[in-house]
Amino acid sequence: MITNNQHQNLSPLPQKLETIIKLFEFLSEEEKRETLIHYADQSSKQAPISGESFDIEDIRKDEECTDTVGIHLRIDPNGQTFWRVSLGPKVQTLTKALTTILCRGLEGVHFQQVLDLPHDFIPRIVGSQLVRARSQSIYYVLTRMKGILRAWLAKKRLEVLTSEKN
Amino acid sequence: MNPETSYANPEAVVSTEWVSQNIHNPNVRIVESNEDVLLYSTGHIENAVHIDWTTDLQDSTIRDYISPEQFAALCSKNGISPDTEVVFYGDKSNWWACYAFWVFRLFGHKKLHVMNGGRDKWIEEGRPLTRALPQFSPTNYPVPRRRRDSEIRAFFEDTLAHSNARLPLVDVRTPGEFRGEITHMPEYPQEGVLRGGHIPGAKNIPWRTAVNPDSTFKSAEELRKIYIEQNGLNPSDDIIAYCRIGERSSHTWFVLTELLGFEKVRNYDGSWTEWGNRVRAPIEKG
Repeated sequence: MITNNQHQNLSPLPQKLETIIKLFEFLSEEEKRETLIHYADQSSKQAPISGESFDIEDIRKDEECTDTVGIHLRIDPNGQTFWRVSLGPKVQTLTKALTTILCRGLEGVHFQQVLDLPHDFIPRIVGSQLVRARSQSIYYVLTRMKGILRAWLAKKRLEVLTSEKN
Repeated sequence: MNPETSYANPEAVVSTEWVSQNIHNPNVRIVESNEDVLLYSTGHIENAVHIDWTTDLQDSTIRDYISPEQFAALCSKNGISPDTEVVFYGDKSNWWACYAFWVFRLFGHKKLHVMNGGRDKWIEEGRPLTRALPQFSPTNYPVPRRRRDSEIRAFFEDTLAHSNARLPLVDVRTPGEFRGEITHMPEYPQEGVLRGGHIPGAKNIPWRTAVNPDSTFKSAEELRKIYIEQNGLNPSDDIIAYCRIGERSSHTWFVLTELLGFEKVRNYDGSWTEWGNRVRAPIEKG
């Protein structure tokens, strides 16, 4: 049974993510852009690999993004999360970059820590020049990741309730 | 220029093939303008420079466009002279290419073109992209005497007077935005608008009706049917077009002005993000 207790006393930002954020904070705006492009180039590698199985998947095209985004989540018995994200070709470059950063930065992170993540670390990565009108989709992938975790938690609770009734 | 000759200004549109043949033409400057802020850096047409709609074309503090001095500096930096044939292309079916075209027209640059189909068509045709940044010798672009705001740009007061006089207003947003059912456009987050609906008297002609599935502009005959026959606009009408922040309406401005030859069309760039937040601005719904 997975509990939230395993998450106690953790810092708000997972270590891998914090390392990536610190890297970006040292970069000039131009270097930030180049590094974001590098991460965007790696986004196709975050897609599910043939034969992988997941505890829950959420693939949809909704109104806040320009193309289909699929979130594929595996959670181990300790509550650690492992993410795969599939992106349609018209997804914006910043969203692609954030996909790679989040998949890597949240690998193995406890689900409660992901749910507790504040969104304000994202501008620290992207930089003030790129957080502007028509680039708000930078928050989209993290929002979807939290959304699938909530759906997974609801499913788990329902399973527990059903087994208790039986 | 291999134009679609039945357009009112046949040279306003150039084909991808024409661009590919003129990549090294010193009299031509290819300009990419996108909504996706990093897209140019992921790969662009060889020798294309990047002009960003926010950082290059807009004032960095006030919601307005750059000054004539800044425009001259922008052109000089990109090796553009008053005689340069500037060809715009970009993502989103050329929204921002048309927007940049319109801003260049605000400053009176004459030789302006849009690559039909934009970035999507170029890629769809398997044409090459590069990440190599072009280097051009700076020019000394003369500072334009003025910005032609009164000719092709409308402000809130102009638009209110237009609405009160029941002159033609074209709302190019989606029907859901026009009816006030949503306060953002589909596929986008909310952009801080407090009220939904449309300017009283506006006609809803979404920008998308002017393009084919491959992002190219429809033929002049098809466009005449849409704007003149079906929606009752006349080429001599005094028209104001608007959307949310002025980019989709610059696309329609381009279609009406350059492709159909309408004589007086203005783009209300304040658009719904100004109107929908303005205290006591009249709004119609449905």
